[in-house]
Amino acid sequence: MTTISIESVSRSFGAIAAVCSVSLTVENGELFTLLGPSGCGKTTLLRMIAGFCDVDAGAIHFDGERIDRLPPHRRNIGMVFQNYAVFPNLTVAGNVSYGLRARGISAADSTRRVGNALKLVHLDGMSARWPHQLSGGQLQRVAIARAIVIEPRVLLFDEPLSNLDAKLRVEMRGEIRNLVKSLGITALYVTHDQEEALAMSDRIAVMRAGTLEQVAAPAAIYRHPATAFVAEFMGTTNLLAGAVRRHEGSGAIVAVGGEEFAVATRHGVGETLTLSLRPEALRLLGEREPPPDGWHRLLARLTRVELLGAVTRLETVLGNGLRLQVAVLDAPLDRLKPGVEVTLAYDPRRVTTFVVVP
Amino acid sequence: MILIAPRQRFPFLIAGIAAAFLGLFLLYPLWKVFGASFFDASGTHLTLRNYVRLATSNFYRSSLLNSLSIGAMATLCATALAVPFAIVVARIELGYKSALVALASLPLVLPSFVSAYALVLLLGRAGVVTRALQSLGIPFGSIYGTPGIVSVYALTLFPYVLLPTIAGLKAIDQSIEEAAQNLGASRSRVLCTVTLPLALPAILSGALLVFIETLENFGVPFVLAEDKPILAVEAFKLFVGETGQNPAAAGVLGVMLVLCTSFVLLLQRYYLGRRRFATAARRPPPPFEVGKGIRRLAAGYCWSVVVLALVPFLAVVVLSFLEFRGPVLHFHLSLGNFVELWRRAAAPLENTLLLSMLAAFGTVILGVPIGYATTRFRSPLTGLLDIVATTPFAVAGTVLGIGFILAFNTGPLVLTGGWLIMVIAYTVRKLPFGVRAASAILHQIDPSLEEASISLGVSPLMTFLRLTVPLMLGGIVGGMILTWVTVASELSSTIVLYSGPWQTLTVVMFQALEGTGAGTAAAAASLLIVLTLVPVALVFRLLRRHELSMM
Repeated sequence: MTTISIESVSRSFGAIAAVCSVSLTVENGELFTLLGPSGCGKTTLLRMIAGFCDVDAGAIHFDGERIDRLPPHRRNIGMVFQNYAVFPNLTVAGNVSYGLRARGISAADSTRRVGNALKLVHLDGMSARWPHQLSGGQLQRVAIARAIVIEPRVLLFDEPLSNLDAKLRVEMRGEIRNLVKSLGITALYVTHDQEEALAMSDRIAVMRAGTLEQVAAPAAIYRHPATAFVAEFMGTTNLLAGAVRRHEGSGAIVAVGGEEFAVATRHGVGETLTLSLRPEALRLLGEREPPPDGWHRLLARLTRVELLGAVTRLETVLGNGLRLQVAVLDAPLDRLKPGVEVTLAYDPRRVTTFVVVP
Repeated sequence: MILIAPRQRFPFLIAGIAAAFLGLFLLYPLWKVFGASFFDASGTHLTLRNYVRLATSNFYRSSLLNSLSIGAMATLCATALAVPFAIVVARIELGYKSALVALASLPLVLPSFVSAYALVLLLGRAGVVTRALQSLGIPFGSIYGTPGIVSVYALTLFPYVLLPTIAGLKAIDQSIEEAAQNLGASRSRVLCTVTLPLALPAILSGALLVFIETLENFGVPFVLAEDKPILAVEAFKLFVGETGQNPAAAGVLGVMLVLCTSFVLLLQRYYLGRRRFATAARRPPPPFEVGKGIRRLAAGYCWSVVVLALVPFLAVVVLSFLEFRGPVLHFHLSLGNFVELWRRAAAPLENTLLLSMLAAFGTVILGVPIGYATTRFRSPLTGLLDIVATTPFAVAGTVLGIGFILAFNTGPLVLTGGWLIMVIAYTVRKLPFGVRAASAILHQIDPSLEEASISLGVSPLMTFLRLTVPLMLGGIVGGMILTWVTVASELSSTIVLYSGPWQTLTVVMFQALEGTGAGTAAAAASLLIVLTLVPVALVFRLLRRHELSMM
């Protein structure tokens, strides 16, 4: 039961600032994800908590106890590594009991705890196997069992699923979430995969160039990104630059190129904005189908149709040459051909606006 | 007080220990040699006369020139032998290839002066082959001097170039050659414009090692040079001096020698530092499609090089079972040489076994932590440590030996006359190998294994001892055996440092060579060959052959 509080922590490598004055609190029992493109500093931050990377400035506390000066082996942290880091010279049981032996746990106690941990990760009966006899997914389970068996204060995951194939990745992320939640251990998870982050986290921190862009629950991050960077990094979006032309109702009309877009938020006339309109927020209307109440209509020409499976991705171009991406579930493929004129509609409340600082 | 971050304590500790050891046992003796070169023969007056004499005296100048020109010729010959060999091994399908490479790398662990001595026994003035030719009326030129030395060097040192070049050729990704072919280059054009240039850093690093090795080698020129002055030999002769010691003149030659080798070592670092042609080979290029004729030619070439390199060693073993009268050989099978050797060399054999074992332990105990620190903790400090730990490469054994005598004969620390001084000298000389061997294995052990162990609550020191060392064990044992083997046949610093009860087998052989005990020398040489080959054969599977070239 641990709250992690990170206070204005910084770290630079030579001239490159990897983490610049990041402050963050991870609540007790929370599964918290650090998300961002490679080189954004998320792994550095994780390694500072683990103790493998020195902190240049700032402090890290676990429940008010300062830990960033403790040597890494005294921090009682369970860490799961990207490449598993399963000791090749020890059996599965040897790997899982490694941390227990370091803590002087008696053999009988250790055997019982190793058995329980292996059961939790569905590896019961595998304790005598050697690492080279295991598959990637099994190695990952050994690494997780090894990290949880020591009953750590905090679990750290460093992109643990990136070496697994796509299907196993989806399976494992659900399992990891269930396991962490059932144990109630505070967990910090690093990934660059936004889908993984959305699927498994209680809260997400999106990082960029060593700083936090936004910290929020998955739904808020996706639906209400705080910055254009977050909007674009989380899934795909149409980013449109424009200026407020006039007010309309409780919202405003923004001119983008020659086209008008309706937004639900108030802005001063003449203010320059960036709009984010998710592809799935755009609906394809049937012929002569009226848009729902309060929705805004756009006329466009199809330039490209990509069938991705359940979703069809459309590329359209508006009258003024502006390009918009549209995502449609269960699309009427027979009438969607490049060159066809289509009618799109969106709810102005689904348009996120970012004020552009001049 | 300077605060050291917890993660930096370990490398600081290692660097401190290494600095103390190398400072005392490498830099201080070298400083003594350097200092001696500025005193006159009586050792009391500061003078530059020694250096003036170096510039004006024919003898000094020619010893420097001889060393450099022989080194250059030997390097060229060894490279010329090795590069085609490496291309064949890397790119032509041959049977028994692993046996071929294993045999080709043997000269690295066999004592090269034995090969030189075999040349004398076969082709020398009273040599078996010479006399056979003379009895047939065929005149035969002299092998003493430059031709003999160069050919022994080329045949014993070519693996230094061969092994890294094979590795370099195999590290080229297939796609690079395919790209060149795709752009219209012919097979031979690809070889000349892509493949060989990519392997060039590997070839050159091997060639520079050959050059350094030739400069500091003592045994080969001692056996073959006769009147031709060679730096490493003359420094020794001037130091032990038949007509009175002259540490000053020996110092000048020693300084010259160290300057030459350091220059080459620096050149190598500088050159390789800016040429990294790693192409992350996922697939090494396929073998050349060649006809039967070319394949036979290639196999013939490689096997004849290997046979030429190994025949001298074989010959010594055979000849040691024949009867010698003085230097003259008679074709009677006899164990007389070994009986005589046993009378003279029972204690030296024991010394050799013991001293090499101690030195091998010393090299590992010191080299592994240094290799660990330089591989795992990258910082300017460990970078410096890496450079300092490789400098013993640049110091000829005779020069180090002279430095040890100058430094530890009097003063606060007296070591001369015992076994410890020899063990320390060997440890210093073989340290670069220990460091290289350790860091080569460490590069293959994922650092996150250690982090996993530490985060599970095991302290860094215990992690190193309980996890890293066991994982490195295969490589460490291999490195230790190789150190043991090369120390057992060490001659150049031994000959300066040994004292009465601490003779080694190489000293016995050396003395037999100087005197009239040609038979005893041959017996000692074949015993050395056995001593070297048996351990290497036992652990051959443990050795990464590429590392042999680091010796």
